[in-house]
Amino acid sequence: MTNFDRRMLFILPALLLYLTFSIYPLMKGVSLSLTDFSGVGEATWVGLENYKTIFADAKYTKVLTNTFIYGFVVVVFQNGIGLMFAAFLNELPGVRNFLRTALLVPSMLSLVIAGYIWQYLYAPMGGGINELLAMIGLSNLQSVWLGDSSIALFSVAGVHVWMFVGYSTAIFLAGYAGISTELRDAARIDGVSPFKRFLHLDIPLLAPAITVNITLATIGTLKSFEFPYIMTLGGPDNATMTMGLKIFLLLFQEFKFGMAAALSVLMILAVAIVAMVQNSYLRSREDRL
Amino acid sequence: MLTVKAKKYVYSTLMIAVGFVMLTPVFFMISMSLRTRREIMLDPLGLPKTINLDNYGSVMEGMNYAQSMFNTVMITLLTIICVSIIASLAAYPLARIRNKVSNFVYIFITLGLVIPPFAGLTPLYLFMRDLGLLNSHVGLIIVYTVANLPLGVFFYTSFMKSIPIELEEAARLDGASFLKTYWYIILPMLKPITGTLALFVTLTVWNDIVNPMLFLTDDSKFTIMTAVLRFLGTYNVDPTQLFPAAVLASAPLLIFFLLLSKQIVAGMSAGAVKS
Repeated sequence: MTNFDRRMLFILPALLLYLTFSIYPLMKGVSLSLTDFSGVGEATWVGLENYKTIFADAKYTKVLTNTFIYGFVVVVFQNGIGLMFAAFLNELPGVRNFLRTALLVPSMLSLVIAGYIWQYLYAPMGGGINELLAMIGLSNLQSVWLGDSSIALFSVAGVHVWMFVGYSTAIFLAGYAGISTELRDAARIDGVSPFKRFLHLDIPLLAPAITVNITLATIGTLKSFEFPYIMTLGGPDNATMTMGLKIFLLLFQEFKFGMAAALSVLMILAVAIVAMVQNSYLRSREDRL
Repeated sequence: MLTVKAKKYVYSTLMIAVGFVMLTPVFFMISMSLRTRREIMLDPLGLPKTINLDNYGSVMEGMNYAQSMFNTVMITLLTIICVSIIASLAAYPLARIRNKVSNFVYIFITLGLVIPPFAGLTPLYLFMRDLGLLNSHVGLIIVYTVANLPLGVFFYTSFMKSIPIELEEAARLDGASFLKTYWYIILPMLKPITGTLALFVTLTVWNDIVNPMLFLTDDSKFTIMTAVLRFLGTYNVDPTQLFPAAVLASAPLLIFFLLLSKQIVAGMSAGAVKS
């Protein structure tokens, strides 16, 4: 080792801390997911039993479908609306910076605080939304936003979109800033309609921003549990029980640590799959360009 | 047919209206926090008639505001210091040395960016218990430091790649050790990205409730969001408690954001799109 660069030693503090407090617990978590550990006494090996339960027990399959619907709705609307806002703001330099900041304000509240505010706004009596609907003469649209199991999940997802749409907008705007103005001007002069320019020029060139946004939104929805925890506790009738919340409740209330670990492992797999699909899809896109 | 200019006015006005609608819940929070229970009963959506701060007093006491705010700020600052030093120290070789080990370590650590934190939570709890670090801020600072290391390593490594190497080489020629080069040459140049990193660390520490709930047992050691949760409980719709607590807990971060919004937005976007 004559040419060993001593700077490599500088990696050690970070690497050791990461291995000890992040990777080691993670590995232990994977092995815990194969047991029925409940906090006290010895953990009994149960093999893949926890995973079987998750995919067979209706209580858990509901959690999986809820999480999928919640994630899908948030990813689509947060990024769809964010992209639309960014497309408009990119053409409006006069108000761009002001609105980018304004739209980011909700994401600076904490999930806990936003959850409390919206739980009040959604309240059936005296809550902001139903009162507002009554005031503008749309009483027939009044709903029990968080108490009706057919809409509760969407009500919660709406808060998520509200909170983070500004974040997506900011990232898309940064993507727009990276697109050469010559290219967009050339298309405009050639008489390409704004909508076609958006579809065939902006969207392909915004690909990196789209990946970042979709990845961030996916991870964000998967691990967040604060909204359903504060607003509904997973109810009514488990309609808003998401993966993050279920893990949280398994850890803090039901003390089924093996089960919680199994759900967490599935969550990691879900994130890994989304990241991989995106990566390969984007690679092939970039190759075609 | 509208002229281009007129169109821009229409769209600008429309977007400003959208912005106001988006901010309505925030204005609502502030407005409600100043109203008495009677006012709210009579007119659920009205504006405060007077500036009434009575609600704030009892809420501040109930959520042990000064203490939990102090805890949060202290934990945040110490975490920022630990993360920025440990991560930038690692980023120095990771950005400057190109070999298989360095590449592997970089990918291995940055993978931590996409691992949701739940999986290792129970083992981490047992581990911290064995180390005697439960119910202590030190334990929590370690947890937060490690949780933010991947982000720190990612930010610092990509930032360092964009700064010229000449200065370091000059320092080396003058006989400075690697550690001295890091401390006197590299670290000062990392200030801009440290600001962005600090924001992200602040947001994670400020907003987290899982780790404090898991690792802390004394109310007096709670962070601000945990104190809010303890005070309000779940499903609390008493506006005279809810809104002052929400304002008190979010005000420091909101003010900080509005003061530094330009730098924050720039840093956020740079970090996100570069990858």
